[in-house]
Order: sequence, then C-alpha cells, then structure tokens
Amino acid sequence: MRQLLSSFKYRFYFLVAATVLIPQAVFAQDGEGTTASVGILESIFQGIINVLNLVFYFKIGGENGIPFIVLWLVAGAVFFTLRMKFINVRAFKHAIDIVRGKYDDPEDEGDVSHFQALAAALSGTVGIGNIAGVAIAIRLGGPGAAFWMTVAGFLGMSSKFAECTLGQKFRTIKPDGTVGGGPMYYLSRGLSSIGMRGFGKGLGVIYAVFCAIATMGAGNMFQANQAYAAVSNVIPFFENASWLFGLILVAIVGLVILGGIERIGAVAGFLVPFMAVIYALACVWVMLVRFTDIPAAIGTIVSTAFVPQAVAGGLLGAIVIGFQRAVFSNEAGIGSAAIAHSAARTDEPVREGIVALLEPFIDTMFICNMTAIVIVLTGVYADPASADLDGARLSAASFATVISWFPYVIAIAGFLFAISTMISWSYYGQMAWSYLFGEASVNVYKALFLFCGFVGSIINLQLVLEFSDILLLAMSIPNLLGCFFLSGIVAKELESYMSRLNSGEMLESVLEAKERVLR
Amino acid sequence: MNWLKKKKVLVPTDLSESSYEAIAVAKAYVEDASGLQVIHSLSPLHPADPAAMWDTLTDEERKQKVHSFISEKMNDLGYTGVHIEVTLGDPATQIIEFAEKTGAEMIVMPSQDHKSLSRFLIGSVAERVIRSAHCPVLVLKS
Repeated sequence: MRQLLSSFKYRFYFLVAATVLIPQAVFAQDGEGTTASVGILESIFQGIINVLNLVFYFKIGGENGIPFIVLWLVAGAVFFTLRMKFINVRAFKHAIDIVRGKYDDPEDEGDVSHFQALAAALSGTVGIGNIAGVAIAIRLGGPGAAFWMTVAGFLGMSSKFAECTLGQKFRTIKPDGTVGGGPMYYLSRGLSSIGMRGFGKGLGVIYAVFCAIATMGAGNMFQANQAYAAVSNVIPFFENASWLFGLILVAIVGLVILGGIERIGAVAGFLVPFMAVIYALACVWVMLVRFTDIPAAIGTIVSTAFVPQAVAGGLLGAIVIGFQRAVFSNEAGIGSAAIAHSAARTDEPVREGIVALLEPFIDTMFICNMTAIVIVLTGVYADPASADLDGARLSAASFATVISWFPYVIAIAGFLFAISTMISWSYYGQMAWSYLFGEASVNVYKALFLFCGFVGSIINLQLVLEFSDILLLAMSIPNLLGCFFLSGIVAKELESYMSRLNSGEMLESVLEAKERVLR
Repeated sequence: MNWLKKKKVLVPTDLSESSYEAIAVAKAYVEDASGLQVIHSLSPLHPADPAAMWDTLTDEERKQKVHSFISEKMNDLGYTGVHIEVTLGDPATQIIEFAEKTGAEMIVMPSQDHKSLSRFLIGSVAERVIRSAHCPVLVLKS
C-alpha cells in the first residue's frame, strides 16, 4: 500500500520538481546560457503564435483592416446591447440593489451570495491588466484607445449579462453541493435544450479546450510577466534574475493551488481589495494634484479617439486596440466569469446576470479609466525620453511624476493582483480541464499552469502579449456563437423577470422567504 | 456457493450510473446488503472556487451531502443497511486505506472509471487499486 502511495506521489512530485528545477538548472548558468535557452523558449512561442495569428487574426478589409476576432467581439457586444434593449443602462440601479443583498433569498440553491459571487469573479478580472493593460493600449493606440476601452466596457456589460445569465440557467448542482457552471455547461446543455445536441456538445468541448489553454496566457503568463516588470522596476536586483522572480511567484501560487496553504489565498483575498482601494486613492491623489489638467486630459482622450495621431491603422487601429485591451481586462464575451457567477445562491438566472454586468463597469469603465487619466494627465507616455517604457513600467513612471514612491505601491499591488488573478484563472482552467479529462488528473493541469507562469516571467512582453491575446480572444468564438443561439432564451427570461420585478411581487416573495428562514 | 460468501465487500463509486451496477454484482457475494460498503472520494475544492473563497461550504458539509445522496440512491435501488463512507482525497489511496482499515474481503469496481487522458497520465483508479490492495479485486468490464 505504501508502495502505491509513494509511486503515485513520486510521479506527481517528479512533475512539479521538473517544472521548477529544470528551468532553474538551465537559467542559473552564465549569461550566455540563459540567453540561449530563453531564445529557444521564445522561438517555440513565436512559432505557435504565427500559426494562431493565421487562423484568428486574419484581417478583414486588407492590411489596415479589422482582425476577424475583434470584429466578432464588437459584433457580439453590440448585438447583446440591442437585443437586451440596453440592459446595461436600465438594470444598473437594480444591479446595485441586488449586490447590497436586497434580493438575497436564503432558500435558493447555490453556494454564495450575489455579492460574494461578484467579488470572486472580480478577483479574476481585476488584475495587473488594470495597471499595465491600459498603458499598453495607450502606447499602441494613443490616448484615444482609452476612450474605445470605455466604449467596449459599456457594451461588454451586455455580453457579460447574457453569458452569466446562461451560466446560472444551465448550471448543475453536484451531489456534494458544489456548482458546475460556465460556458461548457450552457453550450452543451443549453443548445441541446433547443434541439442542437451534437452542435452544443461540440462547442462545449471546443470551449473547454480553448479555455484550458488560454488560462495559461492572459491569466497566468501575462500576469507573471507584468508583475515581474513592476517588481524589477523598483528592485534592480531582479533585473538579471527573472528566473528567480519566476520561481518565487510560482512557488507562492503553487502552495495555494496545490493545496495545503490556503492561508496565502485568504491573505491575498483580503489584501487585493485593500490594494485596489489604495490604487484608486492614488489615482484620485494624482488627479487632485493636477486638477486643472483634467479637462485637457479628457479632451485629449476623446479627440484622439476619433482623430488618432501616429497610430498604426488610424481610427480603426485605435478602436481595435481599445476593444482588445478592454476585453483582455474585463473578459466580457469570453465566458470565463460565468464559471464563478454560476455559484450564486438564486433561482433567478437573470438576477445573477444583472449582477455580472457590474463587472465590466467596475473593471474597465472605472479602474482602467482612472489609470488612463493618470497616464494621459502626467504626459509621460508622450515624453520621448521614456519612449521605451511600456506596460506596468509606463504606469509606474506616470505615477512617479507626482508621488515619487508610488512605483513601490505599484510593485506590491501588481504582485498581489497577479497572484490572485493567477489563482482564479487556475480555477477556471481546472474546471475546463476536468470537464474534458475528469478530476483525477487536475494536478497535471496545475503543474503545466505553474510551468507557464514561470516561462511568462522570463520571456519578453511582446511574445507573452500576443500569445495571451489570441488564446483569450479565441474563447469568444464558441462562447458567443452559442450565446447568439441562446439569446432568445435570455431575452424571454429577462422579460419575465422584469415584469415580475416591476409588479413588486419579486421583492415580496424574497421578504417572505427571509421571514420563513428567520423563524 | 456458500464458501464464496464474504462478510465485507467494498464497492467504490464515482456516483455515475454505471458504478452502481457493481453493487448488484457485489451483492451476490454477501449474505445481505449490510455486508456491503460503498465508498466515494471527494476531491478538495480549488481555493478560488467561490464556495471555498468565502468558506460557505465546508468539507464536512460536502461529505454529509454526498452521504445522504448515496443513501437515497441505495434506498431507491433497494439495498438497505449498506455502510456508506465518504472521504476526501485521491480515490485509489482512499479505497485501499479504507479496505485495509475495515478488513474488507473483496473490492468490486467497474474498470471505466474515468476519462482516457487521465488514465493515460496517471493510470486508472482500478489499476492502482489492483496493484496495492490487500484483498482480491474484481474489476467489471463494461
């Protein structure tokens, strides 16, 4: 018996040890060796990216056209905004009421309250992308890209509503009380409910495959990469030791997701909202110090949105970059957040969908915009002396013009954001993996995940970004396609929900349930 | 046939319909259903599962829920007095340890216990149980 135990454990620990030790052995060598091995890794990733680019990024309308995948996301967001009759505007106040607990029905099935589900989903969305992604957008698409990010966030609220409503509607409650939900479930179960069984099953599997792979990029490698950028920015020691940083980061995430040390997860869960508040306060601080420049900064963002200067692809280029970075940050149309939202305790799918539409609002329209205004306000992005700064470093430099020690806060916040986002995304990926391969081998997924996190912190931003972008956006193909077909169901549910809400019977029944439970 | 009769037979279940078929086979080896033990292993929750993040569902509660789920199922299938065990951890390890601890005389289980890639990567639960169990293992072919 002991033998079996050890044989299994050995196999597993070997995998973990290999992921951690092999790169260490390789990168701990002299400088030349390091460059060579990083070079090999980079060329492998470049090869994968080239193939993916061909498939998903072919441009409609020639060289300066709009990439297919971005057009797809824009079309999805616009479609759901119109189909759901501007649910993002008309349900906004109701969303806040729900999150405040006014409609929490203790008798409903599910694991967590509406507020708790939103917070869990947000820990996956609010990541270092909110600090670094905005800087990348402005670097590539000019200040106007921030305007298009806001537009994308606004429209994305509707796609988020649709996917999270579906996530709730087609979830399964497992015998142990946990919830299985998300695109895999609504694609296969939802589409089969409208007579497209084979199609739904196929889309569900495709989604799960894309999801399991994509979690390695945006929610993992990109986070690790930019956390490294933020930290090495203030601790020069790490400049030439990215492998050491990668090991530390991966070790911490590994301790949490491989089980055992849940404390770290709990600590990160507490510190992340705290850091988010500190970050927001710092943005406000910068804005107050440069108060008189705010109108000009907003003017720059809006005017360059329509007449971009020196942006590849002109207006269309700025729109494409804005949408891409917004979706990268708020996941609207990607479907991943529906996994977390499915756990909410409710028997009204629409109710959780309405809660979910707050996500792009908080993430993109609020936090990303704050970063954007700070960057444009301080003007660092336009200073030729800092032309080589990108991502987290550009944001840090912008803050540093007003608060000299702020890069340290960005480093700490970035590190924590990266850890919590990586933990959340490893959960999404694990759900997809176990949907495909069963629960027994999830540790294999986790080992791969940690390996990619390590790679992310040592290779360059451009590669990580391209790889993460394509894979993340690819998830929107099966997801939105299924959502289009299921939009009739969502619209019908929404109509019935709204009429019951407006007649007041909904609040009454919730109050009655609360009373029954108290008794 | 009496010499074949056992006092305790362990049947692992992954809660799928096919895994319940093993119970019917196991039943033939015991006097009555009280000689049957059914075991299920839960995997730990991912720390980012909303239920784990907010600590709204403890492992004890999960075990309790699965326990009543199986016991209802056993009643439906007409087996009364079956001993039900729900544990947390790696299924093969849990099955082997439990069999040893309770002195089970035989383990009956289906072979198709999980999806093919997992079987390739870590071997099937049945394989690992056969290799290390202290008692005979009957693996059913589907």
